[in-house]
Order: sequence, then structure tokens, then C-alpha cells
Amino acid sequence: MTMDMFQPQQASSMLVSNVWDDLWWRGTTGASTFADGIDTIFFFIFWVSLLFFIVLMGLMVLFAWAYRRRQGYGPESSASHNTTLEITWTVIPSILFLIMFLWGFKGYLPMQIAPSDSEVINVSAYQWGWEWTYDTGAQTQQFEVMADVPSPVFAVPVGRPVKLIMSSRDVIHSAYISQFRVKRDIFPNKYTTLWFQAEQTTHYFDEEAGEALPISPDNKGFHLACTEYCGDQHSQMWGRIAVMAEADYQAWKAKMGTFEGPLHELGKLLHTTKGCAACHSVDGSQKTGPTWQGVWMEPREFTNAPGESYADETEYRNYMRESILEPHKKILAGYPNQMQSYQGQLTDREMLGLLVYMKTLSSNPDDVSAAMAESAAEMEAREAGESESEGGEAAAEEMS
Amino acid sequence: MSHHDVSYLAPKETGWKTIWSWIFTVDHKKIGVMYLAAVLLAFLLGGIFAIALRLELWEPVKTLADGTVTGQVLDLGAGATANNWYNRAFTLHGTVMVFLFIIPSIPASLGNIFLPIMLGAKDVAFPKLNLFSWYVYVFGGLFALYAILAGGVETGWTFYTPYSSTTEWGSVTAMVLGAFILGFSSIFTGMNFIATVHKLRTPGMGWFDMPLFVWALYATSIIQVLATPVLGITLLFIVFERMFQVGVFDPALGGDPVLFQHFFWFYSHPAVYIMILPGFGVISEMIAVHCQKKLFGYKAIAFSSIAIAAISFLVWGHHMFTSETPAANAIFSALTFLVAIPTAIKVFNWIATMYKASIAINTPMLYVMAFLFCFTIGGLTGPPLATLAVDIHLHDTYFVVAHFHYVMMGGTVLAFIGALHHWWPKIFGKMYNEFWGMMGCTLVFVGFNVTFFTQFFLGTQGMPRRYATYIEEFTSLHQISTIGSLILALGLFVHLGNFILSLVSGPKAPRNPWGGLTFEWEADAPPVEHNFPKEPVIVHGPYDYGTVTPPHTNPGEFPLNDERPSA
Repeated sequence: MTMDMFQPQQASSMLVSNVWDDLWWRGTTGASTFADGIDTIFFFIFWVSLLFFIVLMGLMVLFAWAYRRRQGYGPESSASHNTTLEITWTVIPSILFLIMFLWGFKGYLPMQIAPSDSEVINVSAYQWGWEWTYDTGAQTQQFEVMADVPSPVFAVPVGRPVKLIMSSRDVIHSAYISQFRVKRDIFPNKYTTLWFQAEQTTHYFDEEAGEALPISPDNKGFHLACTEYCGDQHSQMWGRIAVMAEADYQAWKAKMGTFEGPLHELGKLLHTTKGCAACHSVDGSQKTGPTWQGVWMEPREFTNAPGESYADETEYRNYMRESILEPHKKILAGYPNQMQSYQGQLTDREMLGLLVYMKTLSSNPDDVSAAMAESAAEMEAREAGESESEGGEAAAEEMS
Repeated sequence: MSHHDVSYLAPKETGWKTIWSWIFTVDHKKIGVMYLAAVLLAFLLGGIFAIALRLELWEPVKTLADGTVTGQVLDLGAGATANNWYNRAFTLHGTVMVFLFIIPSIPASLGNIFLPIMLGAKDVAFPKLNLFSWYVYVFGGLFALYAILAGGVETGWTFYTPYSSTTEWGSVTAMVLGAFILGFSSIFTGMNFIATVHKLRTPGMGWFDMPLFVWALYATSIIQVLATPVLGITLLFIVFERMFQVGVFDPALGGDPVLFQHFFWFYSHPAVYIMILPGFGVISEMIAVHCQKKLFGYKAIAFSSIAIAAISFLVWGHHMFTSETPAANAIFSALTFLVAIPTAIKVFNWIATMYKASIAINTPMLYVMAFLFCFTIGGLTGPPLATLAVDIHLHDTYFVVAHFHYVMMGGTVLAFIGALHHWWPKIFGKMYNEFWGMMGCTLVFVGFNVTFFTQFFLGTQGMPRRYATYIEEFTSLHQISTIGSLILALGLFVHLGNFILSLVSGPKAPRNPWGGLTFEWEADAPPVEHNFPKEPVIVHGPYDYGTVTPPHTNPGEFPLNDERPSA
């Protein structure tokens, strides 16, 4: 870390002290290359509006006082229309509206075309969360609590354009990063794009923690939110946008591209990163989908298929695998047919990781120790295999 | 049963006959009163949902380290999460307020009562259709009520696909059918009003002799008749998609979700003008009467209503600035600014009307000024949303929520409450208490502004709308907004109490307490069954204040232009 990292922080704390910017923008101005231009148009409209408002309300209050009704006094005679006046007050707003329209269009067009040298990130939105896949295949493993749920931290580089290519797995969502002043809807049937260039560094990559950490406690970074209503946890689709210097960004991306832990830890991570956590608790609490706690090998009742009980573990694993890849086939009684298929989104090791993790949540202690043993054995075999082959190729392949 | 000298409210010989005379009435005034009761009930219901969601937003839901959950206000058990309760509350608030309250509010209640009277007619053109429209409204309302009781809906009142067409949660089909049925009630009322305006003006009344409330209702009716069928078929498509998997909007079935947005807003944007134009109409009436002044620019106001009705069909795309292509957005941005011009002209005309007037300070006039204040804010916060670059930031945030409420509540609802006071003596023949009326108005005005002005800041700061919970940064602004909503609710209950007391023990109203010149002030208070003992004759313009002494007023009560007390 060098001293220049702290410059943006000083700049931002100066802004925070500005009451006016605090009121309108929570003190965050100039966070992206679009922000200042858009804020300028906003304030042009604001001051013009305020002028009109003061004149109109001033006249209203003045008239209400000056011409208040007095016993015995009639109104004064005055013209009931005045063509010159009426044309004037039609033309002046029309000219102002024309300026607003042209200026707004001029500010909007550059937002539509991302520079060709943009850093491209693929974004998948789903009920209810975000999956960002970086050009290296990396996906975030870093989370922080926002609006009461673990929310992903997404790093972006400072000072160069970033283009998001976005699609939805289910209903319409919308990506909104308020401090960058950008927003675009996300559809299940087509790609939409959104681009921005961040101008203020908020995070640095901490080698020890292996995570992006805020430079200043005053600025925890910017936020991503969903702005198209998408159901139950629409209000909990937050994400943290961590803007980092290029070297830190690359280091973060490299770190997020690897996972070295054992199966049950992989499963636990996927529970958050793949969005399972939005609907499936691991502590028995009630959510949109059934909890994973204490259900391993439990018999199941379905609304669209005969009930099942599981004689051996392979049968149960097949049921779970099917529930992940073809969730519509068997709908657990008491739950809606809500889940989208994870077909093609999980590697074999990831699927196994999820199953082993679920097994560690079993109410039977034997299952838990068996799962831990399975996890440890797999780790041992992997390490043995890795030392045979060159470097970490296998691990890199696993994550891509 | 035509009595020329009996109030339309007079009970019949027996209780049964009295009930019968209401539920099978074809009298536009009784139908108007029944609509009034129904829409006020809907307003109460929608208001309860509003307060519920404001309370839930008092603080964000938070799970503490020991597992206890704080900040969850809406917890009625039944295994549903706070999110779910909130999502139902905001959906039902929107659905009830839009379809059951604000669309029928002024036209179906006050419009029904006063449109024929202002034209000097005995009734609307199709009295039986009028009664039928009320029953259709009630039937549609019952559907909606069933949907609420059967679990509710949590799709948002906009029913965006594919969420609305695929969600298995709640009773979307019943609610959508309810809105579909309510649309017919709206179409019937619109057709009736158009025919009435064309055919039933008293002999000698030309188009420019009509009061501006009638012009506004006429413009509203045109939109209702032309736009509502589009909503009807769109809602039916959702039902078809849900029930028979006919793929229109759901991509999984080969449909296009953005198509729904186009269909929906092709109705629902003009619908915003269905909601506000009648408000413009009553403001024009009230400001002229309570200022005893000829309206400034009568023709400009009349034509601007028609211009707004026409342009309103061409701006729907501004609801899709974040989902559509740049070319479409540019066109819709320009057209949106175009609709702002006639709206601005109206505000200038109203304020110019107050110049050199004789302005009474009473509840209706306070409401006129509260309307001008709030509606001007609502209007001026439109341009930032029409400006493409700025809207990208503000779209679907609380800025839009605030703007919408400043126009709909600060515009239409304030006009409606003001107009209720203005015409209360005529409808029920009883005066209300002026002190409590003004007190209620003050509370409503303060509460409304505290609730919704705060939300402009929430919006620019990046708080998205339709959020059951939020990140902690927004807590203090949400709390101010919630406090405002409670003040607002208190003000509304003051009005309710005042109205009930007026009915129970209010003094008998004079025929023309405000010195009005339009035909309803010629009629008895309350009017007789056929409105006028004999067909009224037009002898002066609707706003010839200052040159014509208002009928049925005491000498000297409303002095003419430049009259001064004789020394």
C-alpha cells in the first residue's frame, strides 16, 4: 500500500462534510465518469424548477393575502385572458424543456456504447442474487452482510471502462449502482449491457485476508441493487462494489479464481455464491425453499409425485442431484415450484461438494462424521494427485 | 315516483322501500353517493396498507448475533416472512388505491352527481348503464377482496411479467380478473359521460358555456373509453398464460416480457391522466367560486385538458427508459416534455385567477392552495424523470415514488378532499365544521409533505422502490417519512370525524353557501329528484363572477366587481 491510495479517501471525506451533497447524494459525487455530468443536468433542472416554484408560490401567497376577502368588498376588475402573457408562459417553458431534453439525450447516449477496450464481466441475475463471472472465470468468494443477508463483494478496476453483459435466469431484474448513476434492466430472453468507469478507489486487496478491504471506514464501497421488483427477496439483492487499483484488482481476481479447500467447505461456499442461501437456510429457519438442516435421508412428501423414503444413500444422493438439476420434477409439499435448474452450472466436484456439505448438516452425528471423513479423504487424494501433476492445473480447471 | 319538490335523499314510506330506492336507483345522485361510499371504503383499505408498509419501513430487518430478529413490524404469523408481508402490503396498497379508489374517485362520485346538474340535465344519458357500472365496480371490488383474503398478491400493482405470469404465490389470477372487471365499470362510466355531454346540455348551452369540471370529465371519459380496453386484453393475456400456458409474455413459453410493459403502460400512462384530469376540473371550479373571479384563460384550460388527453397516449415509453433501446427512449423523452406544457399552462392560469380576486379562506380554498403547492412540486419533479440521462439514475427509486405521490395524492386526492368539502353542503344539505375542516387540511398538508418530500432525497441517494428492507444508511429518512404518514392519517381521520358529525348534527346548508354561478348552485341543497323543478335556462357564463350576482345568496354577501362598502 502506498500513500496515494489514501488520496481518494481524503477527497471523499471532504465531500461527506458537504451537507448539500450529503442530502442529495449521500456525499458520493464523481464516483464514475458519468456522475458529474448527470448531477450537473439534475441541478440545472433543480434550480430552474426552484425558481419557478418560488415565483409561483410567492404569487399565490401574495395574492391570497393581498386579495383576501373583506366584508363588502367585491373583487377588482381585471382581464380574464391576455394573449401575450399566455403565449409567453407557453413559450418559455417550451424552450426550457427543449434544453432539458437535448442535454439529457446528449448525456444519455455515451452510456449506451461501451468502449471496445472495456473489462468485460458476465452478470447473471436470479431470484435472489447476482453471479458475476470475470474474464478469468473467477467468481467472488467474498461476502459481507447487507440488508441482513450475506451479499457478494464484486471488485472492479479504477480508471478504466467496465462492461457488464447481463442476463437473467428467471424473471426481470435490473442492475443499479447508484453512485455510478447507472442502471439497466436484465431480461430472461436476451442480453443487455451496462458500462461505467469508476473514478474513486474504495478498496485494496489484502494479501493476508485474501480479500478486498475498504481503505477508509467512512466509505465501505458502492452498492449494487436490484431495481425491478422480482419477488420475495427483491430488497435483499444487494452487492458491494469494491473499486480497486489495477494491481489489487488483478490480485483479487486471481485469488477468487482458485479454491483449495475441502469438499464440505466448497459446498458451504457454493451455498452462498450460487444463491442457494436466498431460499434454503442451513439453520432450520423458514424461507422460500426447505431448509437443509437435519433433512439428510429424511423421507419426503411431494405435491406432484408419490412420496419417497430412502433405503440407501445413493438413492438419496440421486434425489438431491435431481432436485438441483431438475427441480421441477418433485416439488416438496408445502413449497412453491420456484427453483430454476442448475443444469450446466456446477462441475462434478461442486455437485459433490454440495452433497457432502448437506450431509454435514444431518441430524445424525454418524452422517456428519462420515461426511467429514469423505471430505478429508478427497482432499488427501487431490493433494496426492496434484503433487504428481505439474502445479495447480487441476485446481484451475476445476474452478473454470 | 317523480316528485318535483322532494330531496333525492328523502326516505320512502317504509324502510324496505328506502333500501329498494337506493339499490335499484337510476338517479345519478344516489349512484354518485353509493360510489362515494365505495371509493372512500377503498381509500380506507388502501390507506391501512399504506400505514402498514410505512411502519414496516421504520427500520431495516436485522438478525442479531443471538438469532433474534429486530425491525420486523408486519408479522401476522402464518409462517410468512417480513418480506412477504411487506410485498403483499405494497401490492395491495397500489392495486386498491389505483383500481378501486383513485380511478373512480372523482369521476364516479362527484362527476356522477354534478355532471348532469352542471349541464342542466335530469340525469346522465344512460341511467341504467350508470347503475350497472356501479354493480360492476362492486363485483370487481369483491373479486379483489377475495384475492386479498385468499392470501393476497405480491406482484406489484403493475403485474410485470414473467414474474406475475409464473409466480405460484398468492391469488394473482383472481386479482387480475378483478382489475379486468373494474375496467368495464370505468368504460361504462366514460361512455355515459361522453353521451351526456354531447346530448343533454340544456338548450342554449354551447361547448364553451360548460363548466371546466365538465370539460375535464369529458377528456377523462375519452381516455377511459379508448385506453381501458387495452388494459383489459393485457390482463386477460396474463390469465391465459397462467391458466393455459399461452405464451405471450413469458420467454419460457415463447413470449416477450417487454411486450407486457408496452401494453400495460399504453393503458396505465393515460390512466394517470384519468386520475388527475378530474382533479384539474374540480380545482378550476373551486378556485373560481372561492375567489369570486372569472377563470383566467378559460379556453386555454379547456383545450389543455383535451391536449393532455391526446398526448397522454404517446408517452407510455417513458416507463421503460431502462428496458428499451436509445431510439425509442429519445422519442418518448421528447413527447413526455410535450405533455408537461399544457399542464404547466393550467397552473399559471389558476394562479393568475387569484389576481385581484376576493379570496375566501375556508377548507376548499385551503385545499386549492395545498393542491397548487403539492401539484407544482409533483409537476416540477417530472422533468428530471423525463430527462434521459437523469432518469437512468432516478428510475425505480423513491424519487419516482415521491413524484407519483405528489401528483396523485398531492394532486388528485387533495383536490378530491377539497371538492368533497366544496360540494358537501349541496350533496347532503348539511354544513361541515369549518374550523375542523381547516385543521384537517393543515394536518394532511404537513403530513403529506413530511412523508413524501423526504422520499425525493431517498431516491437521489439511491434507495430503490418496492423494498421490504434496506441497508442501514437510509434509516433516518425512512423514519421521518413514516412519522409524516401518521400525521397524514390523523388529518384524514379529522376529516372523517368532521363529515360524520356534519351528517349527524350539522346545521342545514344554504342553497349557495359559496356564491357559485354554475347550475348546481341553482338547485336545492340537497337537490330534488330530478335536479330542477323545471329545465334551467342559461343566462350567464359559468364563471361570470363579479358581473353576475350569485343566485340564492343574501344581498351584499358576494359583492360585484369593484363594489366597496357604502359609507
